[in-house]
Amino acid sequence: MQGVAARSSGLAQVLKATARIVPSKVEPLGAAVIQESLPFIEKPASKTHSNYALASQLPPSGFLNPRVMSGIGVSCQYRLAHTDLQVPDFDYYRKAPKEADDSIEGDNNRKAFTYLMLAGAGAPALYGTKTVITQFVSSMSASADVLALAKIEINLDEIPEGKNVTFKWRGKPLFVRHRTAEEVDKEAAVDVGSLRDPQHDTDRVKNPEWLIILGVCTHLGCVPMANAGDYGGYYCPCHGSHYDASGRIRAGPAPLNLEVPYYEFVEDNLLVVG
Amino acid sequence: MAALFGRTARQALCRAPNGVCCQQKANFSFKKLSTGKKVGLGLLGATTAGAVSVGAALQYSVSAMDLILHPPHLPWSHSGVLDSLDHASIRRGYYVYKQVCAACHSMDFIAYRELVGVIFDEDEAKAEAAEVMVKDGPDEEGKMFERPGKLSDRFPNPYENEEAAKAANNGALPPDLTYIVKARHGGEDYIFSLLTGYCDPPAGVDIKEGTYFNPYFLGGAISMAQALYNEIIEYEDGTPATQSQLAKDVCTFLKWTSEPEHDIRKRYAIKFFALMALITPLAFWYKRFKWSVVKSRKIVFKKY
Amino acid sequence: MSLVSVVYKSVFRRSSTFALAIVAGAFGFERIFDPTCDAVFAYINRGKLYDDCKATFAAQGGAEEE
Repeated sequence: MQGVAARSSGLAQVLKATARIVPSKVEPLGAAVIQESLPFIEKPASKTHSNYALASQLPPSGFLNPRVMSGIGVSCQYRLAHTDLQVPDFDYYRKAPKEADDSIEGDNNRKAFTYLMLAGAGAPALYGTKTVITQFVSSMSASADVLALAKIEINLDEIPEGKNVTFKWRGKPLFVRHRTAEEVDKEAAVDVGSLRDPQHDTDRVKNPEWLIILGVCTHLGCVPMANAGDYGGYYCPCHGSHYDASGRIRAGPAPLNLEVPYYEFVEDNLLVVG
Repeated sequence: MAALFGRTARQALCRAPNGVCCQQKANFSFKKLSTGKKVGLGLLGATTAGAVSVGAALQYSVSAMDLILHPPHLPWSHSGVLDSLDHASIRRGYYVYKQVCAACHSMDFIAYRELVGVIFDEDEAKAEAAEVMVKDGPDEEGKMFERPGKLSDRFPNPYENEEAAKAANNGALPPDLTYIVKARHGGEDYIFSLLTGYCDPPAGVDIKEGTYFNPYFLGGAISMAQALYNEIIEYEDGTPATQSQLAKDVCTFLKWTSEPEHDIRKRYAIKFFALMALITPLAFWYKRFKWSVVKSRKIVFKKY
Repeated sequence: MSLVSVVYKSVFRRSSTFALAIVAGAFGFERIFDPTCDAVFAYINRGKLYDDCKATFAAQGGAEEE
């Protein structure tokens, strides 16, 4: 002790005057004590081993019996040598010996139970995760108001024979043409091999009486005029593409036939496009 | 620097309190004071407390916000955590809205398609939509035209625009009713109380021309006249159309318009609670199982 | 050898089969859980949901059309 004190010099003396190490359950030695210590009263060993019970066996801390002191202006360092602490007894956590079954069968049963519990929690958790993810992913699909506009219902009774009617569908013009019998015969008789975009008339209509096409010229997207042009179908005023009464490109710069959207006849006179 | 600060702070915390402060504590006592000083101190304390109380009272004096009758909580059939809306009531409320409220109030954010599966089947909703004329266009000649409504159309607005609505209602704008239950304190309780709470103004309250007294309305003077009376419409299901019945049904309908997801939400609530009731005990058991190894191990230190 | 041991040895012991069992369990769970919860909801709110009111609505709709 004296040696330590003597070697300390300058700032070190201010920081720490002495250091001592004492057995934890023993009253501090008297040698370098600056403050008075109360005698330490040993408590009987606790039966339980909770944090609180174990901590209460340590010397009490307080301003007369500090547990740790260090730093500027502190006179004494007080350390506990934990050599005399007993290892706590953990039997409290262990299974009772009679429950323990050391056979392979018993081991398997215990493991099966554990894994069953894990699977029992895992399956519902997986289901919940899947439900939440589905919700988020489906929020990326088209919203209900967009879907409501995606379909158009057309009453075919209002379109007389030989007439082409334009509807607005998904922001584009939609042509619905009630073809005459002559037009149907004429388009069906066209030699497919002579076409720029070979497609037979029967492939373009579900009911030969009705031609349903998008009114967007495949050249640069103008809207063709109905019942015009050299082939009796459509004529694009922008760059002079001629389409026939099946919407197929016959002359001019356009590369492809007019597009046929998905449609179906719900009833005899009701057409649903989209 | 931080280390130095931490060290200083810790040192201050760990330092054993010396005797001086205990001595000071002992010195601070009223015992040694004379009686006069004691009385003086007491008076000073009482005066301070009084001044603070007066200040606080003035601070929270009566404000205009308090001059309003708060609506009572009503036992709605959808109040419970797992209670759905009463769809028969929504349907009656829709007719009340259509025949009474829609004369002045818009409902811009509800489309006819949303009624399908709630109060109408698809054909009924189509017929309902076809009753109104909707402005559409432009057509091939660039003109707007009117056509019968479709499922994708929203409820018609009784006025062209806000200015027209104001001009027709003495300068007061009838609010859009779609989210009105969410937009007012008290929700459907408030709407119900407002619709049924019209009464004569008490003595001393002046009500201007064109406004009406309603104790539930902020300020008391509301520009909307009483709209619901007994038997103003006839319910198709034979429910007696009393004023409170009409108000209750229209409130349920407005609750639905402001929360169309209400029933789905509560359906999910059941699933959520059931799922959590299943998973939580299992998760706790599994935690205990995993920790049992950590908690019951012995660490033995050996000397070599 | 008990059934539990068989299940343990054939399914739980290997991580791949165990994970598969959980996925399969999730599918089975969904098939039971969803209808059960919906039935509970329908029971709590019987008489109030659209499905319960549909029949009366249809009758009223006819009366109104006239």
